[in-house]
Amino acid sequence: NSPAPLPERAIYGFALFLGSWFGFILYLIWAFIPETWLFSLGLTYWPQKYWAVALPVYLLVAVGLGYILLFGINMMSTAPLNSTHTITDNYAKKQQQKKFQEEAIPALRDIPISEVNRMFFLPE
Amino acid sequence: MAEERRFRGACGAPIALRRRQHSASCRELAVRGPRLQLRSLSAATSAVWLAAYGLFALSENSMVLSAAIFITLIGLIIYLHFVKIDQESLLVIGSLGIQVTSSYASGKESTTFIEMGQVKDVVINEAIHMQKVIYYLCILLQDPEDPQGVSEVVPLFQSTKPRLDCLIEVYKSCQEILEQRTTASQSS
Repeated sequence: NSPAPLPERAIYGFALFLGSWFGFILYLIWAFIPETWLFSLGLTYWPQKYWAVALPVYLLVAVGLGYILLFGINMMSTAPLNSTHTITDNYAKKQQQKKFQEEAIPALRDIPISEVNRMFFLPE
Repeated sequence: MAEERRFRGACGAPIALRRRQHSASCRELAVRGPRLQLRSLSAATSAVWLAAYGLFALSENSMVLSAAIFITLIGLIIYLHFVKIDQESLLVIGSLGIQVTSSYASGKESTTFIEMGQVKDVVINEAIHMQKVIYYLCILLQDPEDPQGVSEVVPLFQSTKPRLDCLIEVYKSCQEILEQRTTASQSS
């Protein structure tokens, strides 16, 4: 699973490169060349040229709205001030207490908020 | 005995904390926010009336002006009665419980009482609120099944939003009362 260059990856990359250039040239042909010329060549089954302008506009408006949408989704998923998620969560509730050993670093655990408050705000 | 100290709220508004000790196990802490300012009231009223006058000049309909006066009056009454909180107070009675009172500008008071058996602790918690991280005082309610767990969080002082220095004072006062119940249960 390393990101090193491999022959298969080089082939995929080149195929994608050619494919995207082909798609771009096709889009330009569809958007700019008049319909009558394309009909005279026998290519009649194209989508309406309206979409050659509409789709990029749709994409850009979607990108702009995506900023606002992401901001809104973030605000919606923030826990409200009265939820217990601001204090604890499933992992902290199920944690096991390791035995205290002399001369050893204490095991990592989630300290309850009452204890943290006493340490910070009640200096003895 | 009562003492009053000035602090600042989360948005920078000046607030005042008043502490009263009624007895050894009963304390009242009241946080008073700023009163409704005349300048903000006149600014809002002039803005609404100028907008209504602009609409009247465009539409030549005099109902717009009377509607604006109505909206201003009704809006002011609704604001004073439902939105503007003048004082939030906390009454901690050691053996009985905690009472939270909000007094509105129109004189309305809404109270909540939490009995001491349900109270696990009163702590200062920090959380994200509207693109800011704020400290707020909250009551942790005990979970009946799990003695270590918290069933509910009741945030206090939601509209005056005192800053950390004021919260530490309130926290210390509350903890002095709450410690008495653990010493009382250990001795009895």
